[in-house]
Amino acid sequence: MAEKFDVVVIGGGPGGYVAAIRAAQLGFKTALVEREHLGGVCLNWGCIPTKALLKGAEVAHTLNSMQYWGFSADNISFDIAKLVAHSRGAADKLSSGIDYLLRKNNVAVFMGEAVITGKCKIRVTTENKKLAIDAMHIILATGARARQMPGLAIDGDRVWGAREAMTPTVLPKRLLIIGAGAIGMEFASLYRDLGSEVTVVEALERILPIEDREISQRAEKAFKRRGVDIQTASTVSSLRTVGDHIEANITGPSGTVKVQADHAIVAIGVTGNIDNLGLEALGVHTERGFITTDEWCKTNLVGLYAIGDVAGAPWLAHKASHEAMLCVERIAGETSARPLAVDHVPGCTYCRPQIASVGLTEDEAARRGINTRIGRFDLQASGKAVAINEPEGLVKTVFDAATGKLIGAHMIGPEVTEQIQGLVIAMGAQLNDRQLVETIFPHPTVSEAIHESILDSINRAIHQ
Amino acid sequence: MTDKMSLVTMPKWGLEMSEGTVSAWLVSEGAKIAVDDDLMDIETSKIVNTLTSAKSGTLVRILAHEGDLRDVGAALAVIALADVSASEIDAFVAATVSTEVAGTDTAEPTAPVAAPVSLAPAPAIQSQTPRASAPVPMVADNDADFVIPASLAAGADDSAIAITPVARRLASKHGIAVNSITGTGRHGRVSVDDLRGAVIAAGGRFNVVSALRTNASAGGKRTDDSQVPATPVARRLASELGVNLHDCRRTGRHQRVSKADVEVAAYRSNPAQESAVTAQSSVASNAPLTKLPSAQLSSEPLSAMRKTIAKRLQDSKREAPHFRACIEVEIDRLLALRKQLNNARNDANISVNDCIIKATAMALAAVPAVNIQFDGRQVTQMPHADIAVAVALEDGLITPIVSRAETKGLVEISNEMRDLATRAKIGKLKPAEFQGGSFSISNLGMFGISQFDAIINPPQAAILAVGVGERQVRPDGDIGFRQATVMTLTLSSDHRVIDGAMAAKFLQQLKNFIDQPATMLG
Repeated sequence: MAEKFDVVVIGGGPGGYVAAIRAAQLGFKTALVEREHLGGVCLNWGCIPTKALLKGAEVAHTLNSMQYWGFSADNISFDIAKLVAHSRGAADKLSSGIDYLLRKNNVAVFMGEAVITGKCKIRVTTENKKLAIDAMHIILATGARARQMPGLAIDGDRVWGAREAMTPTVLPKRLLIIGAGAIGMEFASLYRDLGSEVTVVEALERILPIEDREISQRAEKAFKRRGVDIQTASTVSSLRTVGDHIEANITGPSGTVKVQADHAIVAIGVTGNIDNLGLEALGVHTERGFITTDEWCKTNLVGLYAIGDVAGAPWLAHKASHEAMLCVERIAGETSARPLAVDHVPGCTYCRPQIASVGLTEDEAARRGINTRIGRFDLQASGKAVAINEPEGLVKTVFDAATGKLIGAHMIGPEVTEQIQGLVIAMGAQLNDRQLVETIFPHPTVSEAIHESILDSINRAIHQ
Repeated sequence: MTDKMSLVTMPKWGLEMSEGTVSAWLVSEGAKIAVDDDLMDIETSKIVNTLTSAKSGTLVRILAHEGDLRDVGAALAVIALADVSASEIDAFVAATVSTEVAGTDTAEPTAPVAAPVSLAPAPAIQSQTPRASAPVPMVADNDADFVIPASLAAGADDSAIAITPVARRLASKHGIAVNSITGTGRHGRVSVDDLRGAVIAAGGRFNVVSALRTNASAGGKRTDDSQVPATPVARRLASELGVNLHDCRRTGRHQRVSKADVEVAAYRSNPAQESAVTAQSSVASNAPLTKLPSAQLSSEPLSAMRKTIAKRLQDSKREAPHFRACIEVEIDRLLALRKQLNNARNDANISVNDCIIKATAMALAAVPAVNIQFDGRQVTQMPHADIAVAVALEDGLITPIVSRAETKGLVEISNEMRDLATRAKIGKLKPAEFQGGSFSISNLGMFGISQFDAIINPPQAAILAVGVGERQVRPDGDIGFRQATVMTLTLSSDHRVIDGAMAAKFLQQLKNFIDQPATMLG
């Protein structure tokens, strides 16, 4: 007889494990099925290990600029294996932490592959057995993987996906990065700081195309100043391995150029993990590689839900965790559950300088016909930014001119990823410019620039 | 005086709530209270809910402490709306409690008065006053339920330790120092469990269950069986055997408890003692029933849900003359319809039980005489088929209600049932979703049970027990046979209000709907 659970979660990433823990907290008999690592891509092959590597890049940058601060040293050496070991260690440590949390909350964990065999029916294949499970509610949190394109196949040797790019054994001298989204730009920043020659190719007309146009421009300028070759509005028309390097033809507005590099990283987006789950046979609706869901993460199949990357953009761990909670709480009939407000999901890119944003860009607000008031503040005039010698950056705030409501915020500069949260709270609480102006920001911090930007939106900036 | 003080009483949440237990005080005496401030958590037989204040003022007196069981309307606390003296509070309590007693069921005068009458200062303000009896190494209490190790014997001042009132009372009664005990209760307070853990860990004995239970049963109203009609012989025998007349059937003349009823009850409560009971009853011996040594038994008090189930079903079985009628139905057409619907509809996963709910609803609409509530005096015709469906839980069962089921389609019923069952599992049903109802269904088919009788769930007057669908060979024509999936449905009805012919008519309708499921669409 099939084992019975109230809620079964498929996938142990930041969507899945949060869903399972929340379900268990609410009193459901809960199981989680994971085929590889608890923690998912985020923890094992995404957010966390790349942040560990980028800390190494920051050290490299500090060492490179030490003479400015009066230090000198020679014979500085770098062992990339140690940096990679730190990164893997961080991932492993956190993954075992997830295992502990699930156990603590009495979630049954099955390490294996899950297939949905019918309405509310699952078959789990673990290393040594097959198991039938009946579940009143099934939550798919299977995540996404790197998108592949014909001609740009990831071979794991010379042509890397994100996984290979975060476990290099030798620092590549020359690196070609295809795709200038958050993943591509973080790798560009990492490898440039470690000493590689980097070329970035982006099909759209600017890097970080989902960010505000001004932020993209600032970032592009900063990267170019760091010596990164950026080719926008360009595509890789051919990519092949020749001996111990790759050769690519890059076709752009000014014709085709040939580029040689030790490795290429393909970072052209992600596609949902929707295969081999039995979804097609059950007629579950999907759209361009992702599962279609309603505002409560329900699919068209009774008792089946999808959260996080597999349910579509934005592909962010915190969006997955948030959907996990709202989905489970909706199942439990919690009246406090609310659908995801996509415009309130912040996004962070951990390149140098960092980029963080929430809400509407100026262009998007215009496209929606919203009359806006824009505030800008350049970090050149920020005391703290100048003091730490990182005065490169901008805080841009977007207000609805009619109501004074904050509808978007876009930041580039030092540690802005740690500061955006203040503006996310402001948007969630639907604060207007007047209330934000009255807020006291601590001095001296980089975050004061937020205050100045808000003041600028009503032409009252003090320091510019 | 009354406009200076206001009495907080046990609320009535839902029609069937008759009593509640104070499970936790959320404020202490002396606290300033605003309207809608949380006062205490109250556990009823079905839910735990927070009682909020209707007045603003100062909480000056707690009359019901954590763990205390009170009837609806009984006094729980006094809130002063202005400055009042202690004597004014005492007078107010005395006055309101006595009027309250006059107003309540005089048959059971002990219950509501018991606690409020003890007007000693409540534990919360008692913290500075002496609490511990003299510390003695290994204090053995009068009752051997408590042996307090020397390491825990009271000494240093522990009045600053956060501790629940019940635990504080126990600790001071048995001279336990709470300084070294880590609190794991609500708000990090030391709970009775923490006390027990610490005492047992230090090698002592702490049998609080029996201690609390003795208190509870002493204050519990069911001990007083003086109002239960019984023959004099039965009453005497019951008191000799320690049998509560509430636990006996009343099969004697004029619906009194007879001697035989008492003997049956005594046997049921302790079957191993059968011969002893017979012997005792025949010689009217005064010897108490021998009991097994408590060390060999693990016992715990009934949960609130278990208590409700026990009480309601016992009342039902005693009060309602159940009569049962069985019918066999062939469900092949129903199964085909279900399959067809499930194949066609991605948004539904209709179970056989969902189909039975729908068929029952249609049959109730056709035979409204079965769709009633009966409180022992009045029959209420219910306008809709509000069908309570038994859902098994880890530690009991609950019967969420599919309301107006006759107006709903199968997909709607199925998805509503999934939602109700989901929330039933985590105790998140609202009272309106499981109270009342006009009819019940209990299905044990998924366990392979072919046929069973169910007990009516009052105030309803009938319940349907559903068995498993089994493949059978059935005679067909003079010499032919055919295969069919056959299910046995058993209706238990309250004969006081539903006659045999009516029950038969209902079952016949139900059978028709199941035989010809397309007719349910009409």
